[in-house]
Amino acid sequence: MVCKECQELLSEYIDGALELGEQVKLERHLGDCEPCRAVRDDLLQIVHFSHQLPMQAPSTALWPRISSDLAELQPSFWSRTLRWLVSFSTLNFNFSVPQLIAGAAVLAIVVSIGVIVSRRDIEQPQLSESAVTFSGVRPLSQTDLQQLEKQITQLSQTVEQRKESWGPELRTAFERNLLYIDQSLVECRHQLHENPADDVSQELMLNAYREKVRLLEGFEKF
Amino acid sequence: MAYITDTLIMPVTGERIQPASDLELARAAAAGDSAAFERLYEQHHRRVYSLCLRMLGNGTHAEDLTQEVFLQVYKKIGSFRGDSAFTTWLHRLTVNQVLMHFRRRGVKLEHTSEEGDFTNVVETPLQSTRRISMVDKLALEKAISQLPPGYRTVFVLHDVEGYEHEEISNLLNVSVGTSKSQLHKARMRLRELLTKR
Repeated sequence: MVCKECQELLSEYIDGALELGEQVKLERHLGDCEPCRAVRDDLLQIVHFSHQLPMQAPSTALWPRISSDLAELQPSFWSRTLRWLVSFSTLNFNFSVPQLIAGAAVLAIVVSIGVIVSRRDIEQPQLSESAVTFSGVRPLSQTDLQQLEKQITQLSQTVEQRKESWGPELRTAFERNLLYIDQSLVECRHQLHENPADDVSQELMLNAYREKVRLLEGFEKF
Repeated sequence: MAYITDTLIMPVTGERIQPASDLELARAAAAGDSAAFERLYEQHHRRVYSLCLRMLGNGTHAEDLTQEVFLQVYKKIGSFRGDSAFTTWLHRLTVNQVLMHFRRRGVKLEHTSEEGDFTNVVETPLQSTRRISMVDKLALEKAISQLPPGYRTVFVLHDVEGYEHEEISNLLNVSVGTSKSQLHKARMRLRELLTKR
């Protein structure tokens, strides 16, 4: 072995990554070669001291800068709710954040459907006689629809960009939630196509749209 | 798994108190407790800054990046579930931020023969006699900051932070062989810088 070969292998030798045969050859060379031994010793010192480098401190002005930036990140109502969900999930339950969000979204849709259907049963005669809608919600107008769709398009674009940094679990949870909501929307559209005056379907559709906006707003933060 | 920080001793009573674990602080911060977030900063900012400083080789940039890291921590703390130590999670987030910074600035992590090939070293008596004092920590810090970014990144991750070549190859999207080669070149360049002092 010549010095050039020896020195090219020194790092792997120091890290204990050489095969036995190469190690033997290299040690034989080191035994005879003072300059290569000197290089080995220098590298050993560099590696040894690198493990022990002390921590450095930034200037004391850094925290006020960070703190000021944090103050600008005022959490919205929805992200505060999400944070609450996160802290709730970290108690003793084995649910992940995406699972909780999925649960919340599904629960909201199920409860909406349950309430509306039960109220329809009770108030059917009255509703058939008048144009009054449930819970004081006015019928879904074309403007409402356009506004919501515009908002959803904008949020979807942001979420699409954010998605690249998501883990597979978060992505799956998001797509599952979105699927539930989109299925509801498809059903509502189908019902409304058959009966445009069906105010129950209108309200369900409005709820599904709002749920989609909330979902996108929530995942926009991740 | 909670990561418990050192026990605090109250100055007047001498009472030993167990400070909140990182996990507890992270949970509180995720729920909107800004004091908990500040404590996380107090406990970890030196580590984050040191890593940024060594990988960037510039104090001002390191502070800017430390700021970015903690803003990311604030935004993502809800996703920390305590499956690993907070320090591990934070460390990974910091490394990712530094690498993103390199990508944004178009820093190439792989260097070719121009900076790479070292001829074998002929020892001089001067180098031999001063070898024992060749490395002191300040000089080493300075020499690390003078390394080209590609060498510095691999060196800091491997020799300072203790990453394996496989991890580095995944992080930097290079082969294990490239990681090993850059580490060796970085060490040799450091030796050269330190012996020139």
